[in-house]
Parts: sequence; structure tokens; C-alpha cells
Amino acid sequence: MNCHVSNMIWLSQRSHTKFRIFLLILFLIAVELMQPTISCRTQNCSHLLHRSLKLTKFMNWSTAELLKIYKASQGDSTDLICDMQMDNVPVSTISGQSIPERILSIYTHLKEFLPHMRTVMEQQKDLEPPTNPVAEGINSMITHIRHLALKVNCFLQMLQPNIPIPEPAERPTGIPTAQNIFQQKAYGCIVLSRLQELLSQAVHEQKSIRSKICSKRTKTLSLN
Amino acid sequence: MDSSLHFLLLMMYLLYAVGSSSSCVRILPDSGQKILVEVGKEFTATCHLLKGSRYTADDIEWLLENKSIPKEKYFKINETAVRVTVNISSNVNGWLKCRAAKESLSYEMPCLYGISLTTGYPPLMPKNLTCIAVQEHKEISPNFKCSWDPGTRHPLIDTTYTLYVQEVFLEYKTSAPETYSSICKEHLASSCTVYLSTFPHLMDLRVWVEVNNTLGSARSDELVRDASYFVKPNPPLDVRVQGEVNFSTSLMVTWKHPIDVNTIALRYVIRFCQAGSSVWTEVPEDLMHAYTESFRLQSLQPYTDYVVQMRCIHESHKSYWSDWSANATDRTAEAKPASHPDLWRIIQPTAHSRKVTLIWMAPVQSNGKILRYDLEISQDHEMFERRIVRLNEMDQIRSHQTYSMDVPPRKVAAIEITATNSAGVSPKATLFIPRSDQELPGVQHISWSVDDGQLQVEWLHPPPGGPRVSEYLLEWVKVPEGEFQLDRHWKKVSPHINSNTLTEWFWTGPTDFHCDFKPFNRYNISVYPMYSRRFQRSNTSFRYIQAGRPVTTAAYIKQGSPLEGPTARVTKPKKTSAEVTWEEIPLDSQRGFITGYTIFYKTGNIEKSMQAEAHLRSCVLTDLTSESDYVVHVMVSTVAGTKNGSDFNFKTAKYGDGEVELIVVVVCFIFLFLTVIIIIFCLRKREVIKRLLWPRVPDPNDSSIAHWSPDFSVKTDLPKEDVSVVEVDVFDGKSLFEEDKVVLPLKKDKYLSEEHSSGIGGSSCMSSPRHSVSDSDDGDSGQTMASTVQYSAVVASGYKGQTPDHQAPVFARSESTQPLLDCEEHTEHLYEGSSQSRNSYFRRGRGLELADGEEPNRSSLTFCPNKEQVFPIVEDPAVSTSSYMAQQNGYRPQ
Repeated sequence: MNCHVSNMIWLSQRSHTKFRIFLLILFLIAVELMQPTISCRTQNCSHLLHRSLKLTKFMNWSTAELLKIYKASQGDSTDLICDMQMDNVPVSTISGQSIPERILSIYTHLKEFLPHMRTVMEQQKDLEPPTNPVAEGINSMITHIRHLALKVNCFLQMLQPNIPIPEPAERPTGIPTAQNIFQQKAYGCIVLSRLQELLSQAVHEQKSIRSKICSKRTKTLSLN
Repeated sequence: MDSSLHFLLLMMYLLYAVGSSSSCVRILPDSGQKILVEVGKEFTATCHLLKGSRYTADDIEWLLENKSIPKEKYFKINETAVRVTVNISSNVNGWLKCRAAKESLSYEMPCLYGISLTTGYPPLMPKNLTCIAVQEHKEISPNFKCSWDPGTRHPLIDTTYTLYVQEVFLEYKTSAPETYSSICKEHLASSCTVYLSTFPHLMDLRVWVEVNNTLGSARSDELVRDASYFVKPNPPLDVRVQGEVNFSTSLMVTWKHPIDVNTIALRYVIRFCQAGSSVWTEVPEDLMHAYTESFRLQSLQPYTDYVVQMRCIHESHKSYWSDWSANATDRTAEAKPASHPDLWRIIQPTAHSRKVTLIWMAPVQSNGKILRYDLEISQDHEMFERRIVRLNEMDQIRSHQTYSMDVPPRKVAAIEITATNSAGVSPKATLFIPRSDQELPGVQHISWSVDDGQLQVEWLHPPPGGPRVSEYLLEWVKVPEGEFQLDRHWKKVSPHINSNTLTEWFWTGPTDFHCDFKPFNRYNISVYPMYSRRFQRSNTSFRYIQAGRPVTTAAYIKQGSPLEGPTARVTKPKKTSAEVTWEEIPLDSQRGFITGYTIFYKTGNIEKSMQAEAHLRSCVLTDLTSESDYVVHVMVSTVAGTKNGSDFNFKTAKYGDGEVELIVVVVCFIFLFLTVIIIIFCLRKREVIKRLLWPRVPDPNDSSIAHWSPDFSVKTDLPKEDVSVVEVDVFDGKSLFEEDKVVLPLKKDKYLSEEHSSGIGGSSCMSSPRHSVSDSDDGDSGQTMASTVQYSAVVASGYKGQTPDHQAPVFARSESTQPLLDCEEHTEHLYEGSSQSRNSYFRRGRGLELADGEEPNRSSLTFCPNKEQVFPIVEDPAVSTSSYMAQQNGYRPQ
């Protein structure tokens, strides 16, 4: 809706100025209330899944590229440290039996990775110049994770329109802040590696359910 | 006293200062800053008189930009307030003042108060919002640039454009949608860029623009699109094209993806054209698989350079097209020539034969580099020449190949030629040259015209009944013709017959042929009908192409004014006419068809002109003024302009034709007439004339002296004696009288004649007839002055007192052969007075002491009685006895 205030001209009278501010506030409230939102329930299943899958593929590729850059920027023997075991880093395994459960698992894992990615980004900004490609790549990846989470959430709403989607709490990473540089490098690499694994599984997961839940002919949702 | 005076002055100054800075009026609305008003609207202000003011509402005057506002716009609210309403125009930008003052003279200080106004417009709604995110390196740039149409109305005041990019809010309540914005503060901003930090792949974006200024705000329509719609990828990378051996009609095109498929899956488009052409052929998209990296172009021309370009777009056409890639060029492989060589001939008759120059070009579809030509020539069905023309690098550059031969007029010639490249041999081109008297008919008519920069040639078919025309050949050559291989061009056209009009049309233009038709150049255009003739030779049928008789016309693609004027001269200037002749200007300088000449001739301030047709080279100017100087120049004209030749002068004659001859004839006749009259007159008056011209002279034969002979013999050995010159003293009247008496009868006649004589001896002194003893008319009348007689009385006497033996006769010295008549007739007188009277007149000349045998100087023997001083001579007895001496040295003895 396109609304705007017209003829808001006051001729230097202070009373007119107050009135104008009031009208402006009303206009902003109206705009906010009438903000067009795209209902997930009205989304095309196939289209939504298709775009979600493409975004996941893109993120998977981007993460792989980012990981290459990360390993190249961290020096030698980064391949070894990426294989280290580290607690409190989200796992990449998609769990659940039904499709909604597995989709929810993807959604939950994506949300869990966000604070870790932010931590890694901060650590990289401390280790390298703030504008280093790793930090910029991680920053972009955070944005993409958020975007993918939105799509997965929307897809979950399509799958389970009557069930509220549990939001995982934004809790701390559990990683001790007093990490040395080696630990930081290992931590970052592990986070990115696990994220890539998650995204890779998510790609497969979405590909597997694409033919199951979305019918192109009817473009309606069909659950197994 | 002084201090009180100073205090008073100080108080007066303060009063004046306070009074001048304070005001008794105020304006509402009031503001310490500029008051913004909208253009086109009305603005109302009220002027209030402050309490205590001595003015009334009638004393209030409104001023806008120091110009008084008409009273009609005032509204008197009460006695202390006046309201005014003014229309705000775009050029209002200054002070609105209220002034209170008495109209009459008054000591009251006027009150003045003002507010500053600034005008402007509220912003217009931006339209046509478009956004783009270009590819940078291998990613899509997060710099999101949007453009819009801000409208043409300038807001005049500071205006802020805010670009918003928002991720479309899904039904997701846990987090707010990310919104990015950027502010561009320009009066009429048409674009702005917002930084998104990360390009939101596969997300929907909502974009809009808000415009704000003090007078209002506006918001554009929203643009909601998938983020990929705003992406503009780079063109494909490393586009290459490569010919394939043995595949002369295909090229392989390869490239690389400009961006990873996971980012954007792209679809590619290829377009190609022949090198030098601007007509592109685009490969249909459905023939190309999405996101491939190679493609084979097929159905191309062999041995042809092709230029290939590529671009890409999102596979679903959800993005902008990329730019076209840089040119990639390669040539297809060779194939054997698909058409025959373009063969033509030039026939130039010679004294006893025909010089035939064969000229040919590579086949139009040569499909490769021609390596050689195989030429076979037969004359009168017998092989005349078989030649292989191999082309080197230089020959490859030349467009023409030539071969010359002599073909007698009574012989026919048949030519066959093929072209060979690395892939094979071309079809055969043939040409038949008939006997001179067996030419086939030509076209009936040819004309040309220029249409939109193209030369259009039109001709009529040859007369019906002849052989069928297989094609037409147009030949054009620039004239004056230079090296014919360069200037001569031809083209064959198929006979597209229009049966309704029987007219053949042919278009040509500057870009259609090898030779550009240059403006201002003359071209001879010839049309040859080409006939296909079949010949039978040794049970084999051959088909040859034979050209008909050409029809030629001259043409210009564009005409201009001549470069130079004619050089003229006058060949026959006459009294009232003159013939002006001029040379035709060179063809290169004509630059068009000459439409005519104009001859301008001027004498004094009168200038006349005369027109002459284009084919004339001379013109007779008439009605000229005789004996006048004329300045003449000739102007040459074409349809496009004129050019004057140089001036030259000539002068008309004084007399016309025959006038001089007539005058001469008349004069001659008059002279002849006068001559005849004179002759007649002379004949009639001949006696009188004779007497006048030839006075009667006594015949000396009748004289007595003719019968006189001296009675003594002349002694040749006379002693040398002094020779004295007889000087006649004119003042001696006695002696002269005595002599005169003797010769009076003779002298009387002489004197009459001597009036016409110049004298004797060449002396002017002898012109006096009285003393002259010579007579030029004497004796023979035919004697001239050169034969004048100089008479002198020479007396021979003894030398220094010596007496001669006998009395020598007296001789008169003379140069004439005529005897001295006086002396002869009166010799007795001479003898008688010789001793007395003569002696007194003989004396020795001064300084004439002549040696023996020396001839006395004639000059000393002058006889000038008028001037010579005569000295009295003392009578010398010796002298008195002087006698005549024989005259020597040239004097004829008498």
C-alpha cells in the first residue's frame, strides 16, 4: 500500500509543526501495520523448496570455498586441526524420523551455528585485519544462514501449519573465551567444517523430500 | 557648560540610535530564520502596530523584495493590524517587510519590520525505479544501485532521497526483516546506492525510494523482486572461436562461466557475423543448453572470417543480460571454389587486328585462397594458348589478373578459365569473342538517375527476335581513364525480367561494389547483354558466354560546380564585333555535365553577357563599340554551380571590314584622276613647261668659237712659272667694265640663267651672278652641278723676270669640256688688254711659292671678290709680260 502524507505544509506556525509530527507518527504506524507480509502458507511448495535447496547448495559451495580460504589463511597443518574433537560445537547430523522432524533438525542446527559463526568472525577480526576475506566470508555466511533459516522455518510452517515451531534459544556457545590462537584457529575450522557437513546433508535431505512432499501438478503440499 | 553640552549631544545620539534600531511593528508569522513557502500557494502575513505606536493601520505599507504591494491585497483587521496575502512565485526569494510611516512630511521616525521568505516545491514521486547489482570478481556485489526518474521540477530547496532495500518479511515473527537504506541529498537525485553487506541470494527484496524536504515527502512505488532479478553478471570469460580442419562450414566456440553455477546458473547466447559486416546472426537460445561451455556454429561460409560474441543471463531470465563479450575471430576452413572466376574482356581495335585483354577476378565464392588459374584459349576452334597462371603473394593482393593477345578481326576466340585452391577446382568460366562483323545486338536504350546517393541504371532489352539474354554485364570506368585494371569495373546481373514494362532495373551505390562511385567524377557506364551460345566441336558441345554490343552513357553520382573556368581568347576583334573562343575545361575539373557557357564582356561600366550552349566553343560578340577596350570572361555552368574563367582584354578595331580598302581605292582613284589631269595639262602646256624647265640655251656649235683654233701649238714643255690666281676686284670698276664690254652679249644671257644656278666651283660666294664667270647651264644642257665650269684666267709669264720666248696664248682654266665662250669669242680683247688691264689683276697668291712641277692648290685659287681682301698690286713689268701656260694635270688643252 502506498500511503503518504500530502499537503503537510505548515506555514511556520509552531502549532502546525506539532500537528505535522503527529501525522507523521500516524503514517509510520500505518505503514508498519500495513506492511505486506508474505504468508508462508500461501507459498508455492515446490517453489519454496526449490529456492531453499538452491540457497543450501549455494551456501554449501560458499562454505567450501570459505573453508579453503580459511585453511589457506591460517597457515600449515590446518587440515589436522580441522579434524580435532571439540565439545560445544554443534553437530552436523540431521536427526528425526519424519520429514518435519528432519527439517526441524536442520532449522535447529542452523540456529545453533549462528552464535558460533559470530564468535569465529570476531576471532578472525582479531587475528587478521577486520576486512580480511575470511571475516567477510563468515559475515556473509551468517547472513545466508539466517536467510536459510527463514526459508526452512517457512517450509516448516507449510508442513505443520498447526504446530508452533519451537525456537531454539540463543544461548552462548559454551566455548571458553580465553582461547589461544591455535585454539581459535581450530575452533573456526571445526565450525566451518561442521557447517559445511550440515549444509551438505541439508542438500541431500531437501533433494530427497522434493519429490515426496511437493507435487508440481497440483502445487500443493503432500505429506507422507 | 561644556560637559553639559556634551552630555546633551550624547543623549540625542542615543535617542536617535535607539529610535532607529527599534520598531513599532511586528509581523506574524515571525521567525528568526527564513520562512519556507511553497511556490504557487498564497502566503498570508499580518502586520501589528505595537502598543504605543503613533501610527495607525492606514500608515502601514507592505513591501515584498523592496517593492510595494498593491493596497488591494491589504485587509485591515483593526486600527493596529493589517493583513496581506501574496501569491508566491518561484522567483520570490527575499524579505517581506511591513513599514509604518506618515505619508505627509513628519518628524516621526518610520517603523520597519521584515521576515525572510524562501520558496520551494514539495518533492515529486520518483518513477520508473530500477535497481542493479553487478558482478564483482566471482560474487555479486553488495552495492545495490537503484535509479529512478525524479521528475523535471526542481524542488529549489534541500531534498533528501532515501533508498530502502528490505528483505521481504516472511511470516516469521521471531526476527525483524533486515532493511538497508541509503540517503542521497541532492535536489534532483536520480540514483543512489545502498550497501547490503551481503547480497541476499535467493531472497525476495522490496525496494522503494522516499523523498523528503521541508515542504513535503513522496514515496515511490515498491519494487518487489527476487534478488536475482537485480543481478547483472559479467559476460562469459575467455570466449574463443576455432576453425575445424575438414569442416569448412563450422566453427567451435568455447568459453568459461563468469560465475559459479551455485551462485547463478546462467544461460548463454552466441551471435556471429562475417568480419567487416555489422549484421549479426544470433544463435537461438533453445539450441544452446544452459550452463554449457562450448558450442559449434554450423552452416557457415568456407574460408570466411567470423566474429563471435557472447553474453549470458540467469537461466530463468531473472536477471539482466550481461554485456557482450569481446570479439573472438577465426576463419573457417577452405572448400573448393563454388563459383567460376569472373571473366571479362576488353577489345581495343588496332591497325590490322584486335587487341583483346582478358581480365578476370577470383570467384565470388572462392572458398579459399586461389593458388592458380588454368587458362585455355582457342582461335578458330584451334588451341591457341594453354597457360597456368600461378599466384604469388603479390598476385593474391591484386584483385585483377590480365592476359593480352591479338585476335584478327576475321577470327573467333574462345576462352575457358578455372580457379584452383587447396581444396579443389572451380567451375569453368567461358567467354566467346566473335568476328568483328558478327556482334550480337545490344540493349536498346540506357539511362541513369541518382536516387538517395545510389546510381540507378535503366535499360531496355535488346530488340526481340534475337538470342536469349542470359545475364547483363554492367561495366563502368572513371573518365578520363587511367590504368584500366584499376579504373575499370564490371558486375554481372541476372536478367530479372519485368514483363509489364520490359525494363531492367539495376541499383548500385557507393558501398555495393569494389569501386566506390566518387562524387564529381564522371563514369562511363556500359551495358552488355550476355548471351549463352552453344558450339559444336568434334562431336562435343560447348557452351560459351558471348557479349553483345555495348551501349554506353556517362553519369555522375553527384555533380558539383566546376573547379576552373574556361580559358578564352578573342580571335577576330573587329569594329563592332569579336569572336571569343575557349577551350573545354579538363574532365576532372568539370565535376558535372556542362550545361552552358555565359560570356561576360564589359567596357567602362557597362557589362553585358551572352549565353552559349554547352557544345559551343566560340561565340561572336556583336554590338560592340569601335576602338574600345573590353574585359571578357567566360563562365561555365553545371547543374550544381558555376565557375568564372580568368579575365582577358581586347580592343575593338577602329575601322570595319573593307573600310580601309575603300579609302585606299578612293584615294587611288583620286590620285589617278589628278595624275591624268596633270598629264593632260602638261601635254597641253608642254611648250610653256618646256620653256620654264629647260630655258633655251644657245647652241655652242653655232658659236664662232666652234670654228676657232689657236694659231700656235701648245707647248708641252713650258717653263714652270708662277701661277697666279686671277682675282677680280669687284670694286675695280674699270677693269671689269672693260671686260664686260667685251662679253656683254654673252653674259647677258648667262645672267638670266644663273639666277637658277648655285654657282661655280661649289663656292657659295659664286652664287652671285654678277661675278660668276661660269655657267652651269652653259654648253650642254645636260651638265650638272658636278660638271660646272670653273673659269680662271691663267696667264703664263716668265719666272722672276724671265721672259718667255714667245707670247703664250691665254688659256682659260676650266674643268669643263666646254670652251670658254667669252674667251673664244673675244680672244682679241684678251690679247689687247693683257699687258695692261690684265696684269693689274694678276698677282701671286700669298704663300703660293710652288715648286717646279707642283700643281697649284685649287683651294688657294678661290675667287671670292666679296670677302677676300684685295691688296693693291704693284705693277710688275715681269708680270705684265706674263703669258699663258699650258694647263697641266687634268686640264684639257684648249
